[in-house]
Amino acid sequence: MTPAADAALQEEATTPVPEVGWFVYGVVGADSPVPTDLTGLDDEPVTTLSSGRVAAVVTKVAVERPPGRSVELLAYNSVLDALAHGPGPVVPVRFGSILPDEEAVVEEFLAPDEGYFAELLEGLQGREQFMFQALYDEQQVLADIVATEPEIAELRALTKDLPPEAAYGERVRLGELVSAAVDVRRAVDSSWLLDEVLPLTEAYSLRPVSGLERVVDAALLVATDRRADFEERLEALAEEVHDRMRLRLMGPTAPYDFAGGG
Amino acid sequence: MTVQTQRRGGGGYLDRPAPSGLADVVEIILDKGIVIDAYVRVSLVGIELLTIDARIVIASVDTYLRFAEATNRLDLLEQGGGKPLDEFIGNMQESGAGRKVKGAVSGAKKALSSGDDDDDSSERRPAKKSSSRRRSSA
Repeated sequence: MTPAADAALQEEATTPVPEVGWFVYGVVGADSPVPTDLTGLDDEPVTTLSSGRVAAVVTKVAVERPPGRSVELLAYNSVLDALAHGPGPVVPVRFGSILPDEEAVVEEFLAPDEGYFAELLEGLQGREQFMFQALYDEQQVLADIVATEPEIAELRALTKDLPPEAAYGERVRLGELVSAAVDVRRAVDSSWLLDEVLPLTEAYSLRPVSGLERVVDAALLVATDRRADFEERLEALAEEVHDRMRLRLMGPTAPYDFAGGG
Repeated sequence: MTVQTQRRGGGGYLDRPAPSGLADVVEIILDKGIVIDAYVRVSLVGIELLTIDARIVIASVDTYLRFAEATNRLDLLEQGGGKPLDEFIGNMQESGAGRKVKGAVSGAKKALSSGDDDDDSSERRPAKKSSSRRRSSA
């Protein structure tokens, strides 16, 4: 590291920068077993540091390292994945959280909020997060819009064979109408899809969607003992709508959207 | 290390991808999870995850031009019966291993006349369940 970069880092850090820190993945119950062969960033073995009823899942991490690489993100995700598939719940901690030493993990991170973490863990007991997405096929939804909206069909016919620089205003208008038409379809489709899906969940978090393809993008918290019903119902829904929408279900993942971190 | 429990539903219409690639992982994680106070943390420029907001396309002239271009690229005969949409479904099939897509999509249906075009999908709207509503959205 260059002296300048080092100086910049020192300036940004509010605690002195040690050579080795603790990368925090998540918080689990103190009595919750963590797989013994689990490794995290840089293949470091995963351990726990506990305070009362809760424990932080951590690995040692070299603080001086090249700028963020995707392997780190994948390693973080795979640790949380493994914990999510374990016997007890896990509260994910935001990617990139490194504390200077064990004392900071226990005294400054865990201890002050032990009750809060215990409460979050209790709320996640027996529940799993899934990512649910509904997507249009772009070609299909556009074909449908052109076929059903005369003004769009007219503008398309007008601009289709002109060079790209011609009929600028008409093109903008065409795109605007297409955007609005997709929004109308999306509002209707997402509304009834969510009506079908959300009653099967314990909690949900809707992520904003836009563009021509996405209809719904939601994180769903599902009770483990209702999971079979949930998956069955989604499969039936996917079949019901398959001629105009594709449904995707990823997970279970760690409960990233229900960790109280906003 | 990857731990996945993947199960495929009986019918196979539902996509059950294993989140494996970076794009999937980034999408799942975004900027989620407990935030530790900055004064406690070691600030590491290299490892901080940037705010990822790339999926949100701000409605703008550029967006509209892109939509218009996509519409104009469509290879279809929208009048006089036209081309069956099987072809378009074919494209969808590629990305969904194990999905079965059969039969032609019924063609154009009645246009939606609702003026409700300013949907912020993050806000859920109360909706009635009715079969007529379902039909109308095809």
